Amino acid sequence: MKTYVGSGDRGRTSLLSGERVEKSHGRVEALGEVDELNSVLGALIAALPQEQGELRGELEGIQVVLFHIGAWVAASPGSPILEMLQEIGPDHTRALEAAIDRIEATLPPLRSFILPGGHPTAAWAHIARAVCRRAERQVLRLAAAEPVERLGSVIAYLNRLSDYLFVLARFCNRLHGISDKVWHK
Amino acid sequence: MTIPFSGNSLTNPFVVELLQRSWLSEKTFELELSRPGTFRFRPGQKIRFLHKGLERDYSLVCSPDSPRLSLCVRHVPAGLVSSILATAEIGTSFTLTGPHGYFTFQRSPRPPVFVATGTGVAPFLSMTRAGVAGFAMLHGVRTAGELYYRPDFCAAASLYVPCLSHASPGSALPPGAYRGRVTEYLGEHLPPGAYDFYLCGRREMIRDVTLLVDERFPDSPVYTEIFY
Repeated sequence: MKTYVGSGDRGRTSLLSGERVEKSHGRVEALGEVDELNSVLGALIAALPQEQGELRGELEGIQVVLFHIGAWVAASPGSPILEMLQEIGPDHTRALEAAIDRIEATLPPLRSFILPGGHPTAAWAHIARAVCRRAERQVLRLAAAEPVERLGSVIAYLNRLSDYLFVLARFCNRLHGISDKVWHK
Repeated sequence: MTIPFSGNSLTNPFVVELLQRSWLSEKTFELELSRPGTFRFRPGQKIRFLHKGLERDYSLVCSPDSPRLSLCVRHVPAGLVSSILATAEIGTSFTLTGPHGYFTFQRSPRPPVFVATGTGVAPFLSMTRAGVAGFAMLHGVRTAGELYYRPDFCAAASLYVPCLSHASPGSALPPGAYRGRVTEYLGEHLPPGAYDFYLCGRREMIRDVTLLVDERFPDSPVYTEIFY
């Protein structure tokens, strides 16, 4: 089975809602950022120790949600295809908040900025966090230019996901006996 | 903690029974399968066969209210799954997931143009059986013997053009048929304008028609489903 089709060789692509657009279109840019975030999460999952099966499952669940967010971003408002998309709502964000609370309860309180890094898994989580913030900004940039369906839910989810990835990075360091490195001015 | 998520098709395998196999041409057959009462789909969507670690997608050809699930399958001799489906005994059980995909009919003010190659007609047949009508349809095949489901499309389409890419020069063509590829027909005969293009079939066709749309029908949405 071949992966390539070639219909995008001249710089245009199809949105989920069918419109042909330039690959530099804001909707494609936003989708690309969400895709990059998902890929970095994949790298993080791959780097996690085998015994962290529950955490891997949690992250894979987030990857699935990101696919659905990508679909909402990649479809123009008013398209009938929106009726087929998986709903994104407050429950998704609340689930992230519960996970943040759960992880944070295992960590010492934080009173200053920390340097991103430490164990490779923590480093991946920090990269994912930064990419998540970029994805959020790109979705907002798109929303400033044209409507985005489920914008409120998408933004809330991405915003909370970056918080989740921050505490996850700290958790990964703690898991490997590495202390957070505090930023000294 | 589990992120709330429902509808992941990979988590909903269900079992069906092979009820009937009808050969449509030398290499293509239609399968009828039992339908679980809870299974819902939209015309144009597909199901996925799971068999010993292999996965293959097939578009449904039945309407959403059909009591059975029907598929159109091209037998690829080297293809493991299509060979199993071509020879399995009636009553054999298969595990499926689905429905999958977004290749469904979208109501719009633009005239719809369906373009299929080979068994790529499958999702269009499901749409037709669900009541979609008034579309232009091009069915690209090598020879006239592969024009399965022709009566269904002739009855529902405002224009149905079989495009025979391998008809010998000078040979007789079926009524209304075009000697050549679907891309050539579109380039020569479809008037300029905005359409909703639905493309299903081989990736070469998808590529060629999409590039043609960008060039000649730039305000036209393109919906695609690639058959590998």
